[in-house]
Amino acid sequence: MTESAASHVSQGNADGVSLRRVSKTYGLATVLQVDELTFANGEVTGIVGENGAGKSTMLGILAGTVPPNPGGEVVINGEPVPPGSPSASQAAGVAMVSQEFPLVGQLSVAENLTLGMRPEHGGFFFNRKSVATVARGMLEPVNLDIDPYAPVSTLSIPARQLLEVAKALGRSPKLLILDEPTSALGPVEADLVIGIAKEHAANGGAVIFVGHRLEEVREAADRVVVLRNGRLVADMPVAEASDARLIREMVGREHLATVTADHSGLARPASVFTAEDLTAEGLGPVSLSVSEGEVLGIAGLMGSGRSRLMHTIFGAIPRTGGTMVLAGTPYAPRNAGQAVEAGVALVPEDRKQQSILANAPVRWNVTLATLRRLTSRGFFSPKAERVRAKEFAGRTGARFASIEQPIGSLSGGNQQRVIFAKWFAAEPRLLLLDEPTRGVDVGAKAEIYGLIDEARARGMAVIVASSELEELFRLSDQIVVLRHGRIGRVLTKDQFSKEQVLLMASGVEEIP
Amino acid sequence: MTRSEAGTSQDVLGTQKAGPAARRSRLRAIVDIPEFGVIAACVLVFVIVTILQPRFANAGNLQVIGLDLANYGILTIGVGVVILTSGIDLSPGSVVALCSVVSAYLNVNAGVPVGLTIVFSILIGAVIGYLHGWFVTRLDVPPFAITLVTLTAAAGGALALTSGQPISGVAFAYQDLTLSKVAGIPVPDIIFVAVAVVAWILLERTYIGRQIYAVGGNREAARLAGIPVRRRLVLTYVISGACAGLVAVMVIGRVGVGDPSVGSGWELDAIAGAVIGGVSLYGGEGRIVGMVFGILLLMLINNALIVLNVNPYYQQVALGLVLGVAIVADRIRARSRGQARPRGIPIFGAKGSPPPAAAAENTAT
Repeated sequence: MTESAASHVSQGNADGVSLRRVSKTYGLATVLQVDELTFANGEVTGIVGENGAGKSTMLGILAGTVPPNPGGEVVINGEPVPPGSPSASQAAGVAMVSQEFPLVGQLSVAENLTLGMRPEHGGFFFNRKSVATVARGMLEPVNLDIDPYAPVSTLSIPARQLLEVAKALGRSPKLLILDEPTSALGPVEADLVIGIAKEHAANGGAVIFVGHRLEEVREAADRVVVLRNGRLVADMPVAEASDARLIREMVGREHLATVTADHSGLARPASVFTAEDLTAEGLGPVSLSVSEGEVLGIAGLMGSGRSRLMHTIFGAIPRTGGTMVLAGTPYAPRNAGQAVEAGVALVPEDRKQQSILANAPVRWNVTLATLRRLTSRGFFSPKAERVRAKEFAGRTGARFASIEQPIGSLSGGNQQRVIFAKWFAAEPRLLLLDEPTRGVDVGAKAEIYGLIDEARARGMAVIVASSELEELFRLSDQIVVLRHGRIGRVLTKDQFSKEQVLLMASGVEEIP
Repeated sequence: MTRSEAGTSQDVLGTQKAGPAARRSRLRAIVDIPEFGVIAACVLVFVIVTILQPRFANAGNLQVIGLDLANYGILTIGVGVVILTSGIDLSPGSVVALCSVVSAYLNVNAGVPVGLTIVFSILIGAVIGYLHGWFVTRLDVPPFAITLVTLTAAAGGALALTSGQPISGVAFAYQDLTLSKVAGIPVPDIIFVAVAVVAWILLERTYIGRQIYAVGGNREAARLAGIPVRRRLVLTYVISGACAGLVAVMVIGRVGVGDPSVGSGWELDAIAGAVIGGVSLYGGEGRIVGMVFGILLLMLINNALIVLNVNPYYQQVALGLVLGVAIVADRIRARSRGQARPRGIPIFGAKGSPPPAAAAENTAT
C-alpha cells in the first residue's frame, strides 16, 4: 500500500527517514500536509519556512511529540515507527535538539547527558565517575569545556544549547534533528554545530537542519526543502538555493528584507547615556556612550558578557562599580523598577522565559510596564487600558484577532512586536535590545528592524546586542566588541567588517 | 511553534460572525466564562438537593450555610491571592486558632474592648503573613515549607497558651457581631461580600493587582518589566494572614469562647475552594468570582450531604471527588484553549524561571 504515493519524490524507501501522507489538523486548521518526503541517509536536509509554515509540527511528528492525523506514517530505513510516541521515536533512532526536550536545570551536566540511558555494566545503579567519563566523551565533539558535575542551571544559554547538541549526538541517532540549533550561538559555535551536522551525515546518518539564517542553512545542507502554510512548496539541491529564491518560496512573493535606513543626516548630538568603568560580576570595566537617535551595537562570542552588560545597565544584575549617567543625571538603578522609572527599557533575549506572560491577554502584556501610569489614585479603567493597548500594539504592527487573545497563541514575530509595544508605551530614553530578532521569521525581522529605526527616529538611544553580525551592521551606527566582559575599540560604520569583529571577538586583536 | 501555528489559524476563526449566529455566539460567550462551570454547579446542586429535601432551602439552613461560607470564604480569598503568585499558604486554619485565643484572652483577662481585639487579631494575622513573605522572598524558603511551620506552630501555640482549655466569658459583642442579621442575612456574610468586593477591586482595577498576576504568570518577566516582585509577594501573604485574623474574631462569636482547637484543617477547604473556582496552582490565573463560587459549591455540597443524611465518612470522599473534577476540568479547558503547558509541576513558589541568561553567562567560550 505504500507504493502508490511513493512516486512523488525520488529517494529510495529503505534508505533514510520518510514521511508518508502525513498531515496534522488543529480544530479546523490544517497546519501540515505532506504526501511524501524523504530525508536520505548521508545527507543534511535543510528545512526553511516562515513561522507558522509547519516546520515545528513536522519535526514534532518525526520526534513523536505531535501525533499526526490517522493514516500518516513515519518510516525509518523501511521500518514504520508507531506515531505520537516520543519513546518509540527515540528507540527508532530519532534525536532532536530543540526547546521541546529541555534540560533538567537541577541535575548536573553529566546527568542530563546520560538521562534516559542505562548504566553500562548492566547494574541498576549509576556510577558517578563512569557517568562523568561518558559525559566528557560526549562533550568533546561540541568542544564544550565545562565541569560535568556543574548543575545545568548555572550554564549560559549558548552552553546549554551546545549541551543539547551533545546530548542528541551521544545517542548515535539514525536521524539527527537540529531545530534552530544556532539561534543562541555566536558565529564560531554556530560553525561548530554546522560541522557536526555535516560530519554526522558523512558517517551515514540522516540530518535535518532547520534555521532562520539562510546562509547557515545553505552552508550546512546538501538539499533544501521549503514549507509554506503547511505544504511542501520547494525541494532543491543547495546549489539552487539562493537567498532570493528561498525567500520567494517562503513568503510566496518577492519580499526582500533590505530596507536600508538613512541615518546619515544626523549630526552627532549630545550623549543620552554614558557608562564609566562599569563593573559587575564577570563584567567590565566597560565604558561606553550612546547619543540620542543613535544605535550602538554590541558584538561578541557566547559568554562574552553581552546579556550581562545589558542586565547590568538595566539594574537587573547588581553593579559592583563604575558610574552611569542618563540624560545628564546620575543613574544608579538598584533594580529593574528604578531603571524603568528612569526611562530605560530592556527587551531580553529569551522571550518565553523573560518577556511574556504567555497565558495572559495581549492587553496585559502591552500595559505591563506602564499600567501604573494609567491609574488615577491607584485605580485604572479597563476601557482606558484597552484603548491604550490597542493603540500601542497597533503602532508596532502586531497582528492578532483580539486584544484579549493570550499572547502565547501568537507567532514569535508578533509576540516580539507586542513586547516592543510594551516598551514604546513607556517612552524610554534608552532602549536595550538583547537579540531582538531571535526566533522570528524573515518578514518579521525586517519589520522589527523598522521598529528599531522608528525608536531611533523618536530620539531614543538604542543599544543592541546580537550574535548576528549582519544584523548589527544593518542596525548600528557604531559597534563595540565584547570579550570576557570587556570592550575593545569602537568600530564606526566604515570599519564594519566580519573579519574585524571576529578578530577582536576571538582575541586575535588584543582588547586592552 | 506548533501552538502558535494553531493559534494563528484560530485567529481567522475567532473573528465575530454577524447575523443569525449572533445569539448563539452570545450564549457561547457566557459558556466560555471560565467560572461558568462552577456557577452552574452551584445552581444545579442547590436545585437538586432542594427537590430531594426541601428542608435544605429553609431560611434557617441557609443561614447555617451562610455562616460557614463567611468563614471559609474569607480564608479562600486570602489563600487564593497567594496561589495567584504560584505560592501557597497552609497556615490560615492555625492562624484562626491562635488569633481567636489571643483575642479572647485580651478581652477576658485584660479587658480590651471587642473593637480593639478585632484590630489586634487582624494585625497579628498580617504580621504572621509578613513573616511568611519575608522568608519566602529574602531566604527563598518554599512557601509550602514556611507556612507548614506556622500550620504546626500556631496551632500548637494556641493550645499551649490555653493549656487546651477554651477561654470562656468573652464579651457578648462577639455574638452580636456574628449572630445578628440584616434583612435575614448574617452579618458575617455581609463582611465576606465586602472582603470579596475589596479583593476584586484590588485584583481587577489596580496596577498592584495586575502585578500580582504578572508575578504569578512569569516571575522573571515581571521582574524585567520593573515590577517589585518581592513586595507583591509579601503583600499576598499579608492579605492571607489578615483574612485569617478577621475570621478568628467571627469564630469567637460563633462558638462563644476562644477555642484553641478551632480552624484545624480549614486551610485545605480554603485551598480546595480556590482551586475549584478556577485558580491555577501554577499561578497567574483565577478570579475572585471563581473563588467565591468555588467555596460556595463546597459549602453547599457539605451541607447537602448532612441534610441528606449521608454517612459522614462518604462526605469526605465526595468533597475530594469535587476537587478532583475541578482540577481535571481546568486542565481540559486549558488544553482546549491551546494554552502553553506550564513548565514542570507546581512546586509552590520555587522560582519559576531559570536565572537571567546573563547571571549565568560564566562558562568558557
